[in-house]
Amino acid sequence: MLKLEINQRSWDVPDFQADEMLVWVLRDTLGLTGTRFGCGVGVCGSCNVLINGVPTRSCQTPTADAVGKKIITLEGLAKGTGENIKLHPVQAAFLENPLQCCWCMSGHIMNAVALLEQNPNPNAPQIDSAMNENYCRCGGYNTIRKNVTRAAEIAGGRS
Amino acid sequence: MKTKKAPLTPEQRWKMTRRRFLIGTGSLGVLAVGGYFGINEGRPAMVDAIEKSGASRGGKMPAPNLWFELKPDNSMVFYAPKFEMGQGIHSALAQIAAEELEVDWKQLTVRQADSSKGFDPNIMFTGGSTSVQDLFTPLRTAAATMREMLRLEAAKQLSVGANEIVALRGECFARQDMSKKLSYGQIVAAKQTEWEIPKTAPNLKARKAFTSIGLNAPRVDVRAKLLGQAVYGYDARVPDMLYGAVARPPRYGATLKNASAGDASNQPGVKQVVIDLKANFAGVVADTRTRAREALKFLNLEWDGGTSMGQAEIEQLVTARDGIGVVIKKRGNTDANILTGTQVSGEYRTPFAAHAHLEPLNAMAHVQATKIELWVPTQSTSSDIRGVQDMVGGEKREIVVYPMQMGGSFGRKGAQSAALEAVRLSNAVGKPVHVGWTREEDIQHGFFRPPSHTKLRGSLSSDGRINALDQVTASGDILFSVIPIPEPIKNLIGFDFGVLSGLFSPYDIANYRVRSHRVKLPIPTGTWRGLGIFPNTFALESFMDEMAFAAKTDPLDFRLKHVPNTEDGTRLKRVLEDVKTRSDWATPPESGRARGVAFSSLGKTLVAQVAEVSIFENRIVVHRVTVSIDAGLVVNPANAALQAKGSVVMGLSSTLLEKLTVKDGMVEQANFKAYPLLTLKQTPPRIDVNFLEGGDTPYGMGEPAIGPIGAAVANAVFALTQKRIRDLPLEL
Ligand code: FES
Ligand code: FES
Repeated sequence: MLKLEINQRSWDVPDFQADEMLVWVLRDTLGLTGTRFGCGVGVCGSCNVLINGVPTRSCQTPTADAVGKKIITLEGLAKGTGENIKLHPVQAAFLENPLQCCWCMSGHIMNAVALLEQNPNPNAPQIDSAMNENYCRCGGYNTIRKNVTRAAEIAGGRS
Repeated sequence: MKTKKAPLTPEQRWKMTRRRFLIGTGSLGVLAVGGYFGINEGRPAMVDAIEKSGASRGGKMPAPNLWFELKPDNSMVFYAPKFEMGQGIHSALAQIAAEELEVDWKQLTVRQADSSKGFDPNIMFTGGSTSVQDLFTPLRTAAATMREMLRLEAAKQLSVGANEIVALRGECFARQDMSKKLSYGQIVAAKQTEWEIPKTAPNLKARKAFTSIGLNAPRVDVRAKLLGQAVYGYDARVPDMLYGAVARPPRYGATLKNASAGDASNQPGVKQVVIDLKANFAGVVADTRTRAREALKFLNLEWDGGTSMGQAEIEQLVTARDGIGVVIKKRGNTDANILTGTQVSGEYRTPFAAHAHLEPLNAMAHVQATKIELWVPTQSTSSDIRGVQDMVGGEKREIVVYPMQMGGSFGRKGAQSAALEAVRLSNAVGKPVHVGWTREEDIQHGFFRPPSHTKLRGSLSSDGRINALDQVTASGDILFSVIPIPEPIKNLIGFDFGVLSGLFSPYDIANYRVRSHRVKLPIPTGTWRGLGIFPNTFALESFMDEMAFAAKTDPLDFRLKHVPNTEDGTRLKRVLEDVKTRSDWATPPESGRARGVAFSSLGKTLVAQVAEVSIFENRIVVHRVTVSIDAGLVVNPANAALQAKGSVVMGLSSTLLEKLTVKDGMVEQANFKAYPLLTLKQTPPRIDVNFLEGGDTPYGMGEPAIGPIGAAVANAVFALTQKRIRDLPLEL
């Protein structure tokens, strides 16, 4: 068995999946379908997860490479459960201003979480650079721009 | 001889509607009201045709298409017959229903209707920007009827006259004594006898009394999506499921001449190899997706035939010329006037494009002895069901379709071949099988927005007005690829109905002729957001600018000068004037930039756009797009604005980047490396949308705003460079 650490929990993955791309192990083997598949070639960014804090294309990451690292997926961002769930500031911003189909959303959220960790108050060009690598076919790019700024406000305790 | 039927009186109409109400026999103490409600008269005929194409197996009494459940704890569920693909339809329908139910829309839980709830899957269709316009009146009628039933019952329970009871925020009050009140749930709980449907039609609120319609109610589907809990088609999971992968032909139309499992059966994790030569099918079922896909490489397959066509040949076929095409509009005498005055001409080309919804096609099926279950992201469950019935003799089995959340669709998921693949594989292996396409499969083995070519000639009279316009369009199939009409009849009709979207110039032109020519290509083509509106508007509205230039008139004023003196003309004038003001048209942009304008309409929705562009390192940069829309009554302005902005971005992607080319019978681009989409940095930071609300009913919103952007940008580029680009994507 391979041991993965995902969302601060340990998960077992059969050895034969060592070479398989992480996106399929997360989605199909472990049922963590919040991470999306869009292209499989590293372009669209729908599959982004945080590996040791860095937004990473899980469709380009063999599962074995993720062993021993800290993986965070969309499911791991909010704190608490049920009624008491507290959204991550980036999730809270996307709840205020949603995208459309939201298939791309997990990938954008991962980028934004990583950006705000590094830079709690990014300016417009910094946001554009950090968020440019992911597609949104529904065309929500301006919502994404706005939400990163909004998430920074929420995280900073400004309403 | 045909006699015209007298129109029904409101009483007769209500009698008919009333008969279609169903009152729930569900679990005890629940009021369930549903029914089959007719569609608007204004519904586009083409959508009707698609829907009817699947409705051939209907029973006697129509199954419900709207359904409410009210429980004694005052919770309320609305089963929505329309599918969510990011357009926010479930929220809009909840707002409309809440309005007449007199409940806070938050009190309604919206669930996706599926065929297990008594819904006839044949009636479930979402597309053509029709959901809100079609359901606006039926949904309000159903909701108001339910409210009336509750009000009448409250009157009995509170022992006051029915006129004394007011329904408000999920409760019924006695007008004279507001302390006498019952929640809807209490009324249901205390009900002893059979419910009755009111004898007279319920009153529907006037627009000025709306409190829920017109609100920016938040989307009901987003929270689950944010937490990673929403289940899209690609996320569907059931115990014991397996994964399937299917072999693809090397050329469109190729058939499987020989096929055998080869070493595929011995590959790790493989459960079964499924081959059906007659159906041109070879697939593998395995315990993981990756293993199923890997095993495909070990099949022995011999493909035969198919097309070897290439791009040059296709473009030659899709060429508008004089002497071809069916005349579909004729006003005045174009031939006699086209060669007079100042003459202008231009030819425009739009290439094949992909839908590129980010969630690739997929479906899960579980074929069992007495029932077939399908989990499928789809715009039309009827097309799935028809295919299943034909394939595995589904008539004898119950078919249950669970329409899933969709990660975009844009016209592609209306004809969902992955569903049939999953059924075939599950049928063979006896377990649930999920088939999820790769991006390569999704781009190369779907169908495409067809290539189109438009030839325009115009003549201007000495007063600078258009005297004549001659328009010939050639296009690959759009709706003909989904409407089951025999090929000879299609040829007889001669033009594809889908081409009609955005085909006609809205301006006042005395002599005008439109011809359209259908080109049946051996490459799969079909519906793409807005059907013909994107290619048609690019051609028509670019040419409008060419004529304005020849007439030495400002392009926006030139359009205003040609607004017809009709009701539609008044609406057209309003959106043009609005976009003129809000885009600061009269003030020149900063140096190095220029603006272009374009207009299009779809159904009754009108859209004008102004794009402001510059050129940087030999690339077109769009800084700002101003959008003015008359979509009638807007149910949820925030969601509608997202639809408009999203249409602009998707249209801009096609305007600047997207082009599929065919070589040796196959699309050359397989993934986003070769077929890039517009990115965040390429998106104008300002896309301003303004709704000019007109009328008391909503028109379509999902597609119309994709129309003008191509021409608006091309016209701005011309204003900046004096260079007219007539092919999409625009290349300097
Ligand atoms: S799915 Fe990984 S980048 Fe597109
Ligand atoms: S919201 Fe649909 S792809 Fe981004």
